[in-house]
Amino acid sequence: MNRSVWEQPGSLAEAFWKNGAADIPIYDMHGHMGSHNAIFFARCEAPEMVAHMRRLGVRRLVFSHHYSLMGSFRNARVHEITARFPDILRMYVSINPHQPDFIAEDLAQYDRLAPLAIGFKFLPDYHKVKVTDPRYEAALNFASARRLPILVHTWGGSAFNGADVMLEAATRYPQATFFMGHSFSGDWDGAKRVAEACPNVYFELTSLPGQHTVIERLCADIGSHRLLFGTDMPWFDEYQHVGGVLSADISEDDKHNILYRNVEKLLGKDW
Amino acid sequence: MNDIMFFDAQCQIGVPMLGGDRGGRSAAELLAEMDRNGVDKALVAHGNTEAAGAVFANADLLELIQADDAAGRLTGVWTILPAQCGELPPPAELFARMAANRIGALNLFPVAHRWQACRLTVGRLLDAAAERRVPVILSPPVMDGAWRGVYDFLREFPAATVIVAKLGLWGSDRNIRPLLENFPGCYVELSEYWVPEGIADLARRYGADRLLYASGYPRFGHGSTMLSIRHSGLPLEQVRQIAGQNLERLLARAQLA
Repeated sequence: MNRSVWEQPGSLAEAFWKNGAADIPIYDMHGHMGSHNAIFFARCEAPEMVAHMRRLGVRRLVFSHHYSLMGSFRNARVHEITARFPDILRMYVSINPHQPDFIAEDLAQYDRLAPLAIGFKFLPDYHKVKVTDPRYEAALNFASARRLPILVHTWGGSAFNGADVMLEAATRYPQATFFMGHSFSGDWDGAKRVAEACPNVYFELTSLPGQHTVIERLCADIGSHRLLFGTDMPWFDEYQHVGGVLSADISEDDKHNILYRNVEKLLGKDW
Repeated sequence: MNDIMFFDAQCQIGVPMLGGDRGGRSAAELLAEMDRNGVDKALVAHGNTEAAGAVFANADLLELIQADDAAGRLTGVWTILPAQCGELPPPAELFARMAANRIGALNLFPVAHRWQACRLTVGRLLDAAAERRVPVILSPPVMDGAWRGVYDFLREFPAATVIVAKLGLWGSDRNIRPLLENFPGCYVELSEYWVPEGIADLARRYGADRLLYASGYPRFGHGSTMLSIRHSGLPLEQVRQIAGQNLERLLARAQLA
């Protein structure tokens, strides 16, 4: 038997297999926090999430809180949680288009939330509001003016955040940087179309590492220089997702790009 | 891998009716991916059983395995049907054929194949399978009522050796923990169990001997769950159990002949 992917000398996979970590930072650009209505999470609060991520060298987790996305937990409270672990946690300001007063409050206080807040999180499929709906305009204009990233939950075929609507949004707001959460899961042709049309778009990989041939296809169609690592933590195990990247049939350079290089090019090393 | 033997508890080969470009059309494709990832052996089912039916899939699986697996790394899974229609031989003969053809476990697709998974239909076969400790693979997506169907089945056949497979990517603890707690013959495969630190949590609560490495190929790849088991935080002895020893033991103890 030839050497497996885990036994290639000097590779990231070999380092993670042997040591559980490697001499690289990992930037997890898609996280959450807090309990969930439909899933039992044994480790969904900051201390235990941080402990898990430290095991394999996650340098930053950028998260939005479940309670802010789905409840009435205010982003200022999320900031307090983030501030307890400033060496690893960063936050997205959750935007619920059904709560315009919350949005106004958050835009007014954004300078107090930054720099621990690095941008916004939209969850259109769950909120049942298209990204191009006027209810998102205030946040989109704010992000565009300040060139902030927006992590948007996207999914193949969705009327709220599928490829067509996101193509329209990313074209309308070229100064904003869009992170396409889940990379339009299942609609790989749509992802390619958006990538070709919109240079201000990056593709985030939550739920895709481990799915056979998907990362390979995204690297071939879009290029690894536009892919970002994410886990939906506390939904998915960091080792499982890192393992999905490391065991994909892609180059060593691709793996470095996905796990940290692209984020450092976008946001630098000190943020 | 040199230090840990991996035995995949859930993967599929065969040509899907609706196509698909993720691989696994032949045993050779599966074996190549196993080699690339360092997986030693696999328990493999036919990937088109729902559409093509048990009679075709059981025969085709044998042909696919025998065509490419000279080293005997693959063990097959056959699909069962109700006894009354005579589509499969009686239990003793079925088990003898399984032993002769390196088939190690059974599965079922009652919704797709339009029958009721209960004692009236497969009681004789599953009582015999339980007595002989032949593993039966149950997957919520193919059972009537999904998880409800898995629960009903285990209540009907509490002595069965059951591997619960394809748990779903949304955390499944609320469904699998009651099964592990109540049915000592229940095992779970981990191809879709992606819960942070969850493997160690389950092992500590229910025993590492109840958990099985699986890839879920060709929908999923082999490597991601290998790394999460390797670095689950459990002692190496338990990692080795989950990676391959548990499944090897389950298949070895089945009395087919």
